[in-house]
Amino acid sequence: MRKFFPVEELARDQRFHQITMKDRMADPRSALGTATGERQRSNRLVPSRPDASQAARALMHGIFVGEIQALEGAGRTCHDFRTQGDAARRAQDEAHGADVDDVDDAVPFALKLDMARQAWDEARHVEISVKLSDWMGSEIGEFAENTVLFQAACSTDPILRLAGVNRALEGLAIDVFTTMKEFGGLAGDPFLEFCEDWMLADEVTHVKMGSDWLRKVTEHDPDRRKKALEFQSVVDKLFSYGGTRSDSQESPIGLARRFRELAGFTDTEVEEIAEVSLAALDERKAAVARMQAAAAVEHTLATN
Amino acid sequence: MADPYQPRPPFAPWDRRELPGLFDVEESARRIGAYKWAEIKLFEALGGWVATVPELDVKMRLGTHCYKHAWHAELWHKRLPELREMNPDRLTKPANDAMVRFVEALTEPEVPERTIEKLVGVYRVFIPHFVAAYTFHKNNTSEITDAPTIRSLHFILQDEMDDWREGEMLLQSLIDTPEEVDRAAAHQARLEKLMVAAGGIAGPGTIGGSAIQAGGPNGSRTHAGGVA
Repeated sequence: MRKFFPVEELARDQRFHQITMKDRMADPRSALGTATGERQRSNRLVPSRPDASQAARALMHGIFVGEIQALEGAGRTCHDFRTQGDAARRAQDEAHGADVDDVDDAVPFALKLDMARQAWDEARHVEISVKLSDWMGSEIGEFAENTVLFQAACSTDPILRLAGVNRALEGLAIDVFTTMKEFGGLAGDPFLEFCEDWMLADEVTHVKMGSDWLRKVTEHDPDRRKKALEFQSVVDKLFSYGGTRSDSQESPIGLARRFRELAGFTDTEVEEIAEVSLAALDERKAAVARMQAAAAVEHTLATN
Repeated sequence: MADPYQPRPPFAPWDRRELPGLFDVEESARRIGAYKWAEIKLFEALGGWVATVPELDVKMRLGTHCYKHAWHAELWHKRLPELREMNPDRLTKPANDAMVRFVEALTEPEVPERTIEKLVGVYRVFIPHFVAAYTFHKNNTSEITDAPTIRSLHFILQDEMDDWREGEMLLQSLIDTPEEVDRAAAHQARLEKLMVAAGGIAGPGTIGGSAIQAGGPNGSRTHAGGVA
């Protein structure tokens, strides 16, 4: 088995359709909102939104495929990196042409145990979300799968991978599950609220694992820590694409500040994510305004 | 109520545990180091394969089983210092080179069309050998002096049996044609031969036989209090 696994080869059955982030955002059924002209002051995913049912189903399907990729990412981290002190694996890696003197390629045994635990948690989340999707009236493959999550799990540096997956991505999961839990509460769906709360507890644990390992492994390596935090910031921005998640009511998903704090984020880090998210929302609004202006010009030209 | 000051036997009549065991401290640590190495290789393989299998139910099971074997490795990791091995990495190693070759062959299948081979390697070869090694260890170590190992073996064997059953059922649900039966059997035979060459997960003597060296009060077994 190869050491690193390309995102293009993620194995799926025939029900799944994989697309890019841009394609997903262009899907009018997405949780982000309906057509530009119908955009409301608050875009938060709440039951009173006219498209709430469809948007909630789309978001749940997104959670489902996201959990599959999170499972795959955690599993790959168990496999891809040598355990510190594993001489037999070191010899194997060397035989396959790997640079075994690259100390960054070996990880503590306890880190791999955490990743295996995370794989189990993510497998349960797939089970939960597939049952919730069914409960909400959708089916596997009804929405496309955006594989950007697994891409963040493809870094060849385990610490960058942890920063991207456990802190950025699982951090987003905290925001998403908090929103979905609130949605379940508001919609009078105790089943949804109950399940989201359980998954939220797991996600806080996963983010904390990432925070703890990032600090521990890079304790004497400030450059590597800086690089990892920069990578996290890139992934955070990617997942704020189009302003999907921010403090603004115009974003369907809010920023779960309290749970992020529990997961080991400092106040400064939360503020940074809030700023990146708002900037992404502003970028999207500016893009929409540009498209509206261009359409207006086209309309004027066509009618004259 | 009986008089609490009346002398009672230290072992209740129903407690039939025995003092003698086949393994001394060093042999027990050596075996546990080999178990830990093998459990690590198994959870790494299961984790790596998750992304390579298209079948959703198999994908989820591999993720779940990945953790169980990581937990077994953790239990053995914690047991080693209790057996006077203060540097657990020193004994965390394959029993021999043949065991390394077995793991290489086990993890060779990668493409999505080879789920059967992946599952055969784990559930028809590796896990049955874990069950055998652990059962032999549990039944032959001292029931009193090595009780902590026995306790871990009980937990682990429960997992192994559950996973074995689940894996076998997945395989039976995937094998539909005579050709697939042949594929499964051929892969099993190939891996089994490598495992035979290794002598089992802990090397020759994994499940007894002439390779077992006496080490401590390990001859014929007697009941509690007796040492052969």
